[in-house]
Amino acid sequence: MSRNLVELVRRHHAQAAPSALDVLKDAVEQRGEVTDEDRREAARRSGLPEAAVFGVSTFYDDLLTPRGARHVRVCTGTACFAATGDAHVEQLRTATGLELGERAGDGSVSLAETVCLGFCHSAPAVRVTSDEADVVDAGPDVVARVLADTCVAAEEPAWESTLPEPVLTRPGDWSGLRRVREEGISPEALLEAVTAAEIRGRGGAGFPAGVKWGFARAAAGEQKFIVANGDEGDPGSYIDKYLMERNPALLLEGMALAGYAVGAAHGFVLVRSEYPRSKPALEAAAEAARADGWLGERFDVTIVEGAGSYVVGEETALLACLEGLRGTVSARPPFPAQEGLYGRPTVVNNVETLCNVPFVAARGAEPYHALSPDSETAGSKLVCFNERFVRPGVYEVPFGVSMGRLCEELAGGLRDGRAIKGVQVGGPLGGILPAARLETAFDFDALAAEGCMLGHGGILAFDDATSMRDVARHLLRFGAHESCGKCFPCRIGLRRAHAMFAGEEPVSRERLEQLLETLELGSLCAHGGGMPAPIRSLLRWWPDELGLAA
Amino acid sequence: MTAPSLTVAVDGTTVEVPAGATVLDAARAAGRWVPTLCFDARQAPFGACRACLVGVEGAAAPLPACTTPCRDGMVVDTKDPAGRRVATAVVELVLSELPQPPAPHTELAQVAQRLGVGEPRWPGETHAPQPADTRHPYLAFQHELCISCGRCVRACDELQGTFALTATGRGFHANVAAGLDEGFRASACVSCGACADTCPTDAITEVSLLP
Repeated sequence: MSRNLVELVRRHHAQAAPSALDVLKDAVEQRGEVTDEDRREAARRSGLPEAAVFGVSTFYDDLLTPRGARHVRVCTGTACFAATGDAHVEQLRTATGLELGERAGDGSVSLAETVCLGFCHSAPAVRVTSDEADVVDAGPDVVARVLADTCVAAEEPAWESTLPEPVLTRPGDWSGLRRVREEGISPEALLEAVTAAEIRGRGGAGFPAGVKWGFARAAAGEQKFIVANGDEGDPGSYIDKYLMERNPALLLEGMALAGYAVGAAHGFVLVRSEYPRSKPALEAAAEAARADGWLGERFDVTIVEGAGSYVVGEETALLACLEGLRGTVSARPPFPAQEGLYGRPTVVNNVETLCNVPFVAARGAEPYHALSPDSETAGSKLVCFNERFVRPGVYEVPFGVSMGRLCEELAGGLRDGRAIKGVQVGGPLGGILPAARLETAFDFDALAAEGCMLGHGGILAFDDATSMRDVARHLLRFGAHESCGKCFPCRIGLRRAHAMFAGEEPVSRERLEQLLETLELGSLCAHGGGMPAPIRSLLRWWPDELGLAA
Repeated sequence: MTAPSLTVAVDGTTVEVPAGATVLDAARAAGRWVPTLCFDARQAPFGACRACLVGVEGAAAPLPACTTPCRDGMVVDTKDPAGRRVATAVVELVLSELPQPPAPHTELAQVAQRLGVGEPRWPGETHAPQPADTRHPYLAFQHELCISCGRCVRACDELQGTFALTATGRGFHANVAAGLDEGFRASACVSCGACADTCPTDAITEVSLLP
């Protein structure tokens, strides 16, 4: 990211100017599209050059799709695909006569795709927005209700803990920060406890939070920031969504503790625009925390909503989005801990990662290590299941339990007598585990050994009726659509990989594997680097279904 | 006080580089060629093209030379087989997105030739040809030749300080634009020509008034 633009944004932000992205989002909300006059207005108010504003306006999904009086957003996430094979998308296209991204000539209705609404427990999901309401409806008959204009809000999923002493599903009560204040625990001692607890990042990479905090604390500079990554874009995952919406105080407490340990007085949460309930829930919790004296002068937070881009979940792209710039990835170094938001040292932690901190602050590192007796990994983990399961929902589990137990005992196996063909764990950049390998432990290393990853903890089953060539096509279409366009292997390579599966042509395994290697070794971030993982799983376990050339 | 220097071995040649130097700096100091497309020594490294992947002893996979800082005692192999395979594939992918081969004088054509890039293994959709944008008297756009290396945008930002250019779009449809995509003339462009000078294809060219 341009250091000049970031400094320009920092100075305007310090003067309370809105970001260019905020102004453009407002324009879409009010008028259904972005015009050049809106772009000039955004440049005037944000202080960003007009060209940079134009670049922003052509990047985010929410700014690119024109809106009619009724804006219908159909979820094309992987759970919805696993539920219908995308039949729900076809039905909406046919019935409305609109292509995805198109608005009717009379402006009455518009159709767009969105990935993903986080209602994977009740797929397929559709969001309908009008002046009167903004509703996410979901379930087998959702298309009929959308067409009849009788949408109802989808039911929330189950939210349970299997632990005798929950960490993440326990309602946040500020007991960690209370103890720090009452006992006068120093920032150094808190950092030491978090480091000793070995909290690993829950957003995908599994990096130790204490080490990251240590870098930011040691970085030079008075002004530092805490950023909670609430851009849980992984299709099939709705864990951070429920933390932000059902347990927002826990996240805010984790951020306040991080700020205390690192020496930061302000934090930001970037929530996805696909989760319209998250920002209001966090803002209400922040207001209550200010009234109770937990937030305020010493540490306060701002909640910012994104605008539709999967790659913004990558930390450098996330910071660019917070600055109101194009959400593209930047090469590291510099790492955010050295040079992050507005060029200042910044801790970027996933939402769930931060939600582990209050327990450690209240109880210490040792009880945290004891939560997962069958694993080397400390703490607990939230997992979630897609609609194919009998009991989909969000569950808090210890590490080290077998995938089979989670799928069969906790989630009850698949509905309608279906059998599991494979489960994709941890989002679109994770491998796919076949039913025959479900004895694998749910843990960082055990899943990595199977070419899979723990990731966010989403567990998404494909049933025995699923065509694995369709899975490859679905995943690569998503990958190509969401490529930020910065690095060449991802920008062009994912497009080509999708094209190999898009038609009915046989696929050359040799050329596909050469392309996968280019993506894996060449890509700038985990998006291009990770998209080959599920394709490698498909090649390993279901080569006969992929239509490979003889 | 003299700045601390680092000792780096590149393809068997030992060079001293200042702290903060990149692996690409070291390779160039050693007189070794590393393919690059998005790199311009006048600009901050960008790390987009991934053609500069080199082998570094102890690293699990090849690393981008332009954005990897040198460490003292580093051992670099500019012809690491995996790095070269990826570099070749990347240039091949870039050629496959252009509606016509790049002109022989362009940096892209020269890098492709030096790497020995052959027939594209992954042909497919190209950028749609469109008439050249010649609304400015001295600078012309040919958007379909843009490979999104970001050099023009950074030249306008870091060298000229004008911010008349931006990256646009996303994924395969990424490109560049001046101002609100209204051409150079209506934008904040001051006609310095730094963008045309750095462009590794002919996506931005200077229009010569001389015969």
